[in-house]
Amino acid sequence: MRLKTMTAGLALATAFGVGAALAADDTLDIVFINDGHVAPYHVAWLTGFEDAIAAYDKAFADVKVTGRWLSAEGSLEKMIQQTEVTINEKPDVMFVNAINVDAFEPLVAKAQAEGITWIAVHSPMESADYSFTLGDVVNGTNQGMAMCALSKGEPFQVGVMLGQAGNPSGEARREGILKGIATCDNVEVVAEQPADWDTVKAQTIAENWFTQYPDLDAISGVTDGYMYPSIAIATNSGKTDIQFYGYDGDIPIIQQMENGQVMADILLSGTREGWNFVQMAYRIHKGETPDKVYDFFTPLVLTEANHKIALEHGFPEDVQVYYVPEALEVAAKGYLEFGPDSVK
Amino acid sequence: MPDLGRLLREKNIIFVTLALALVFYLISPRFLSLDNMSAISRQIVPIGLIALGQFFVVVSGNIDLSLGMGSVLWAIVLGVFFGLTGGVAVGIIAVIVFSLAVGFFNGVMVAKLKLPAFIVTLSMLFVAQGLSGLIIPRGQQIFLMGGFFKFVGAEKFMGLYWSFLFLVALYVLAYVVYNHTRWGAYVIAIGNSEENAKLAGINVDRVKIGIFMFSALCSGFAGIILSSRMGFVQPGLDGNGLLLDGIAAIIIGGVLILGGRGTIGGAFWGLLFIGVINNALNLLNVEDVWHQVFKGTVILAALGANYVLWQSRQVEAH
Amino acid sequence: MTSTASLGNGTKKKSLDGLMLRYLVLIGLIVIASVGFSMANDNFYSLVNIGILLRSIAVLFLVSMGMTFIILTGGIDLSIGSNVAFSGAVGVITLTTTGSATLGFITALLAGMFIGSINGFFIGRLKLSAFMVSLATYALARGLALVLFDANSINVDNITFLWLGGVSWGNMPVVIPFVALVFVVLSIVLYKTPFGRDVYAAGANVNTAFVLGRRPERTLVWVYVLSGALAGLSAIITVGRVSSGQPWAGLYLEFDAITAVILGGTSLFGGRGRLLGTILGVLLYGIIINGLVLTGTNPYLQSLIKGLILLGVVLLDTLTQRGKTA
Repeated sequence: MRLKTMTAGLALATAFGVGAALAADDTLDIVFINDGHVAPYHVAWLTGFEDAIAAYDKAFADVKVTGRWLSAEGSLEKMIQQTEVTINEKPDVMFVNAINVDAFEPLVAKAQAEGITWIAVHSPMESADYSFTLGDVVNGTNQGMAMCALSKGEPFQVGVMLGQAGNPSGEARREGILKGIATCDNVEVVAEQPADWDTVKAQTIAENWFTQYPDLDAISGVTDGYMYPSIAIATNSGKTDIQFYGYDGDIPIIQQMENGQVMADILLSGTREGWNFVQMAYRIHKGETPDKVYDFFTPLVLTEANHKIALEHGFPEDVQVYYVPEALEVAAKGYLEFGPDSVK
Repeated sequence: MPDLGRLLREKNIIFVTLALALVFYLISPRFLSLDNMSAISRQIVPIGLIALGQFFVVVSGNIDLSLGMGSVLWAIVLGVFFGLTGGVAVGIIAVIVFSLAVGFFNGVMVAKLKLPAFIVTLSMLFVAQGLSGLIIPRGQQIFLMGGFFKFVGAEKFMGLYWSFLFLVALYVLAYVVYNHTRWGAYVIAIGNSEENAKLAGINVDRVKIGIFMFSALCSGFAGIILSSRMGFVQPGLDGNGLLLDGIAAIIIGGVLILGGRGTIGGAFWGLLFIGVINNALNLLNVEDVWHQVFKGTVILAALGANYVLWQSRQVEAH
Repeated sequence: MTSTASLGNGTKKKSLDGLMLRYLVLIGLIVIASVGFSMANDNFYSLVNIGILLRSIAVLFLVSMGMTFIILTGGIDLSIGSNVAFSGAVGVITLTTTGSATLGFITALLAGMFIGSINGFFIGRLKLSAFMVSLATYALARGLALVLFDANSINVDNITFLWLGGVSWGNMPVVIPFVALVFVVLSIVLYKTPFGRDVYAAGANVNTAFVLGRRPERTLVWVYVLSGALAGLSAIITVGRVSSGQPWAGLYLEFDAITAVILGGTSLFGGRGRLLGTILGVLLYGIIINGLVLTGTNPYLQSLIKGLILLGVVLLDTLTQRGKTA
């Protein structure tokens, strides 16, 4: 399918005359190899990436921008095979969200020998040309401190839902959240349990917490994927006063902020990140050199009213906060921050 | 005294389940709270539906590996139709029609074309997994809002969830069909010996197709209840976990996998056992990695125990 | 007695001819698939890519050969993929605690055989259904792997341990000659030993085999142990390939193996099939899967295609066989 569209595109370009034919001379081929494709975040990420490829290709007549993403479906064997095959195809830039960075060291060398720019995603790699990270610990700390401030010094019980045991992103987020919560005395972590990025499991855990800790005030999670099922079960069980603290910046979760169920979220937004990848690949292709370890800009999201309350209760003023309308807009429209216009 | 063996087996699982419940109560008093009991009753419904469908398949001497991933697909079919039309009824009808069609297909493959059931249903597992991601536009989530989903997911009648009552009603119905109708007797006869069943003039093919249609319908119901409870659907839910839990429930409930033997009551107690275990492992904060070890061991042990009980019954009978 | 024997020979010869035809068709399909993918992608034919292809299906070659033995007896083993993860865990943990690669190899093999012997005991001795028992060990072995790894991967840098799965001579991964060696050894076992004859006999008819004095029970146990041993070997290769032990290694490997074996013309009802067919089946299936990866096909579409291939092959086999007997 994709090949057909590509050939069709090429044919069209030739048909449109000499200018277009010249345009095909400078090409930017980007491959994004991800560990999965099922989580809502992945879906938004890959969608943003594909949309951005099309937008950049259209916006810049002098470069032919192409790209594709591959999912390793959680298997390291598959990811290594996909990487080997991809290196063999010699794209210009490879984004690799490695399941295990150590296993990819030899492949980085191979790719660089072929002149491919290797960008390590989320888990930094010393040998990679660039590492795009998220600042998970800082983000988590912001989430935890927001909880401290919004609990207004009253006794407050929270359950924290974790990622899969041993997953680096999950561990960093957990570390940050606990660090943020530790900045006050009134918030007590009554339970911590991994939900393995699995929504059904998250719902079962939330339901069991409601019966086990009748005074539970809030659920905090390392991904918004946990928020959907937990909010559903809370609403269905009549536990409408439970607060939720999310992570990821999924649009449907940010939308739940105005009604007071979701209190805080971290604006990664898969869509934004997908657009950012293409923008950065384009910049690098044009000769720019970003920092070797590049932290993606991920602000905390609150409602304006809650931000005011939080500031009154000791929330640090220097933490950058996006309010809901702004967060929703940039989350949905990755091109606002990272589109072709931002480069021109 | 074959009845004694059967009785013993059923009593075993009742005793074990109650004993376990008591142990968990002593460890964590909240275990026996009304809230927790009702949480368990809600959590076991999808597993219970899949177990019931699997029960008839296994008693007839086959297996259906597509039930778990199937229920994920049906949840998404419901979501897609709901998303497209905004109507719940259309979605429910679509799930029922499509699931019956898939069951019919499986049944024809197994009964008429004599393909091995596990291969047919294994391929259906992958087909369902693929379709579950392909039929949602760009794999995004679909939210299920509205009275029906709240009713199925959360409303109670006299303190019991409607979904649980539905499950119990279905088990009662299955009990009557299994024990007091000719169709039930046919299922057992086929499981005991297909050739004898044929010689006795039973339309084996038709009964088999019916069994697979029923099991697929059960996975359709499981999908409806799963999605209502979640309030949204997305591909990538853990269908194989459901499949394993369902099989574990009926084997623990004393269904002999060689076919021809098993009781609905036993299956129900097996289901409660699995529900209690899942809930307790969770309440006691047992690390998730142990769950699979535990389930694999329990299934193997139950397989062995059923075999031994069956052997001793053979000896008694002689 | 004599008449049965000659009858048996007669049918065997006939079915072999059918298998030859099958192999020719498979070779034809392999050529067509290769040409097709090389037209879609310039790099497909490059030596490098063939090396990548062969290395990526090395493990599938091994477990599929084990699966061939099992399916020849009329059984099935759903636990192979989990077993690869479990034996990998045992091997890697032994290696990291003792520092001895040899001990790591041995314990990985033993661990694979351990799961295999559980299958063998329940399926062979207790005569319980193979899919049910191996479904239980599928959960058990994966769970044990998760427990041993604590759901985390363990990095391995022991050069000896990584050699088999990781090293290449030029564009030729060392694992390929190794697979060829295993193929030769297993062919001798299957075609030249009493055990091999017992495997075919057990599949053709368990009761007849019993009457003829062959012990299908013991044969069945050993067939599953063999499959477990091959899973252990595969674990070593997998660890070498990804230079670490992974709790989720080998996911859905059993499914790929079943498809490849059936594609290679082995009858699901036992008693009919050869290892050569399995090798061709793995090659064809590997090229298709590799091609799907290469063209960046949607993963969900890949699942769908895999399911349809399996169903289609079984359906075709059954229909053509029925056509012949009728």
